[in-house]
Amino acid sequence: MSKVELFPAPPKRWTRFFEWFCNEVYFEELQGDLEERYFRNCGRFGVRKSKAIYRKEILRMFRPSVIKKIKTQYQLNNSAMYKNYLMVAFRNLSRNKLFSSINIVGLAVSMAVGLLAITFVSEIHSYDQFHDFKSDIYRINNLRINIGRSTTDYATTSLLMGRRLQEESTNFDMIVPIFNGFNGDLIHDEKHFQIKGQYAGEDFLNLFTFPLLSGNPELALSEPFTVLITEELAIKIFNATDVVGEVLEKNEELYTITGVLKNPPLTSHIKFDAIASLKTFEAKPSPRRTRILNDWGTMWSSYVYGRLSKNSNLQRAQEELDRIAQEENAKVEHFRIEPHMESLTDIFPGDGKNNQMSIVMPKRSINQVVILALIVLFSACFNYTNLSIARSLRRAKEVGVRKVVGAKKAQLYFQFILEAILVSVLALVIAFFLFKLIRPGFIELNSYTLSTTTLELTPKIYLYFSIFALLIGFLAGTLPALLMSKIKTIHVLKGISGRSSSKGFNLRRVIVGLQFTLSVGFVILVGLAQKQYKYALNFDLGYTTDNIVNIYLDGRDPSLLSTELKKIPGVESLSTIYFLHSTGTLNSDYVSNIQGTDSVITYNNYIDYDYLDNMNHKIIAGQNFTADGPANQAIVTESLLQKLSLGNPAEAIGKEFKFYNQNRLIVGVVENFHYGTIFNTLQPYAFILDRDREMYYMNVKLNGNDILGTMDKIEKAWTQLYPEEEFYATFYSDAIERTYSGISSSIKTFGLLAFVAISISLLGLLGIAVYTTQSRIKEITIRKVLGASLNNLVLLLSKNFLIIFLISSVVAIPLAYSLFKSLVLRNIEYRISVGFWELAGEALIIIIIALLTIGSQTFRAAKSSPAVNLRDE
Amino acid sequence: MKGSHLGEFQEVVLLVILSLDDNAYGVTIKQEIAEKVNRSISRGALHTALTRLEEKGFITSEQGESHPDRGGRKKRYYTVTNKGVAALHDAKSIRDQLWNQIPRLKLYPGYDK
Repeated sequence: MSKVELFPAPPKRWTRFFEWFCNEVYFEELQGDLEERYFRNCGRFGVRKSKAIYRKEILRMFRPSVIKKIKTQYQLNNSAMYKNYLMVAFRNLSRNKLFSSINIVGLAVSMAVGLLAITFVSEIHSYDQFHDFKSDIYRINNLRINIGRSTTDYATTSLLMGRRLQEESTNFDMIVPIFNGFNGDLIHDEKHFQIKGQYAGEDFLNLFTFPLLSGNPELALSEPFTVLITEELAIKIFNATDVVGEVLEKNEELYTITGVLKNPPLTSHIKFDAIASLKTFEAKPSPRRTRILNDWGTMWSSYVYGRLSKNSNLQRAQEELDRIAQEENAKVEHFRIEPHMESLTDIFPGDGKNNQMSIVMPKRSINQVVILALIVLFSACFNYTNLSIARSLRRAKEVGVRKVVGAKKAQLYFQFILEAILVSVLALVIAFFLFKLIRPGFIELNSYTLSTTTLELTPKIYLYFSIFALLIGFLAGTLPALLMSKIKTIHVLKGISGRSSSKGFNLRRVIVGLQFTLSVGFVILVGLAQKQYKYALNFDLGYTTDNIVNIYLDGRDPSLLSTELKKIPGVESLSTIYFLHSTGTLNSDYVSNIQGTDSVITYNNYIDYDYLDNMNHKIIAGQNFTADGPANQAIVTESLLQKLSLGNPAEAIGKEFKFYNQNRLIVGVVENFHYGTIFNTLQPYAFILDRDREMYYMNVKLNGNDILGTMDKIEKAWTQLYPEEEFYATFYSDAIERTYSGISSSIKTFGLLAFVAISISLLGLLGIAVYTTQSRIKEITIRKVLGASLNNLVLLLSKNFLIIFLISSVVAIPLAYSLFKSLVLRNIEYRISVGFWELAGEALIIIIIALLTIGSQTFRAAKSSPAVNLRDE
Repeated sequence: MKGSHLGEFQEVVLLVILSLDDNAYGVTIKQEIAEKVNRSISRGALHTALTRLEEKGFITSEQGESHPDRGGRKKRYYTVTNKGVAALHDAKSIRDQLWNQIPRLKLYPGYDK
């Protein structure tokens, strides 16, 4: 009896593994020897040990002389073959115009989003990279611990810290203190120019790389009352850049220009029109300036940058900071400051520190953009993969013939990858134009992108774009290329269908399902966010904002303006207030009963006599402020009465409470109203009368006739009074809308993505529907001949899709809802109620659209005349 | 000198092939080396040596018959070429020469006792 029948065959998987890596020339001999040896060993040592020996032998076959030779014929000149690949690719594209355009357009739309993400991310990461000493510069940040209350991370530190470092530091060889407060109007020749800028230490230009157009960099900020201005500002003021020595006035102080700077790059987190010398503070002290220079706790808008010296390190520098902080903390009560160092290049994008010098994009929102772009991109790649696999049947003969002629698997793989790359490059061209189209919209997406990004195209970006197109082509093409190159020659040439395995078909279903889940998810998200946004805008505030225009007074006497405005026929009534309600600004203080025992946080604001009537506040008890009444009048909400146990509204009138260190007399009680936003819960509230207070806003109620004309007249009245000053006026509803710009920008983002995701998945669906109906057309025709009705046929063709849609919706709805909760509703107190139909309704709409897409194809197939289809061959 | 040098293990393989006469194929060569030379080597290592020898022209090979024990795969028989025999002789004569140069006392330390 032969040994083969006595013993089990050697481990199959190992044999297959060996076959995979073994050079086919030697396989016959080596495998034969191994197997002979194996069976002989089985007789001598038993099967178990013999198998172990066999496995070991195979592992030890892993040597150069046995392994397949990989590079064999690539050194040949193959340009004719590449030409052929390209030609075939183009022919295929033009033969299947529908599929090609679905692929190219789908990819293009998503690649446009990808291009946005690339440009955006690369711009964000180029921030502050232009400084020569960028790797040695650190900013000192403060962690401020208000003992027993709160701990907050600030980007700022006190100038005292800066001065001590300058005097005693052994670790920093250069320190630049900056005070962010050179803002306001510069005056030259009686003309006012509004600027933003900083006061900086004398080494500013030595530490940072901001080149001078004119002036001496060594002496630029070494004297008090000197200022550097940017080229742009110089041209605005003097219409020239050679202006060193000219004098500018600011707040009744005269500053001499000692240098004109080249406009700072947009990718600088230090943004300025002018930089004044910080020495000015010492030369002309005021109580405020002295506090800013010398107080350990005054750290709200001062920054300290230092260059770490070459022979020091981070740890030693940190120890020095800790030592200084310890000494200074010992001198103060109630708070403690922990200094930390942040590398210049880490400042932007930031991790949410407070009081940044200019707006710093949080890392979180960058990640969001990238993740969303990736999702859309993958979705489009799925489309390509899906349609290519569906079409692989048609190309099977080509693959078979190529194989017979001698094409290797790797060559076929390369051919199909090349085709995919061709499509992605074509898509890139369209995507580039789409990108230019949506760029302005993206920049206006939210306040962060608006003030920090330009999305300018540099040569580097173009390089990224090309690499990106190649990558996408590779990603989208890999799966179809693998499947195609695996097609068995013998099957194709014998005419056996390549669609034998149901595996590919299932994969396609999964892909369609995934895409559909994305679409439904995005649409639900957008729908919910939109509802929440509408809800926030139309929220019943408890007072009326209709037809109210708010004029920003900025400390100007309201009486002059109000006399003028009252003459305008379109103006119904006027009032003034310290700051606007319901737009995100809040002011709160502790208020207590007159004994000082019960204290409660109370939000408050200062108003004039006309405010409550003008805004339609409901007074439940008592009366409005009166001009002849006492100076300490206050009007409170019902909720404050409860908190301070002052009884019912009528009883509370005439009672007093403590506000700051004064006693306040309650003259009226108003109904609770929403002074904050949907992010805040309602707390007690008090209107305070303060006859000496500067009011910042004038609320002008228009009577609704000819609003535009009235606005014109109001602006004219303003310019007559203040010819030099800008007129800032907004409708109350616009101001509230701006308050919720965060939500509206998420709506815009998700809206764009929903649109892209839906278009891509509908395109994909259309492609698959066309393919399915085409490949089943004979079956359908025969069914029809045998008597199937139109409805039956349409149902037959759509059934599979319907199941996919339903499953996708079931997955997408809870996902979208939980995303909505975590992204949009995070800190919102007043939320919309979300019911079943809010969620399912959106999904249903998408399903209907998708069914219509498929229906267009299935219906046509079901209606087509049997004679045409059966005569086919 | 890659072309003509005969390594120590290669020399053993050549001798084993010669000694096996017309039954020299992978399994028998490996077994013979294990039994006679007392060296256990993997089939892979043997393959490396055989391809080297064939590249140098010291052996030739031809396909033989198949056998069910081998999963129906054919054997490959190896024979030593004249060049291979000459190389063996060269190697042996170099050794003999070296042996002869060594004083007998050093080779058989206890010989004069």
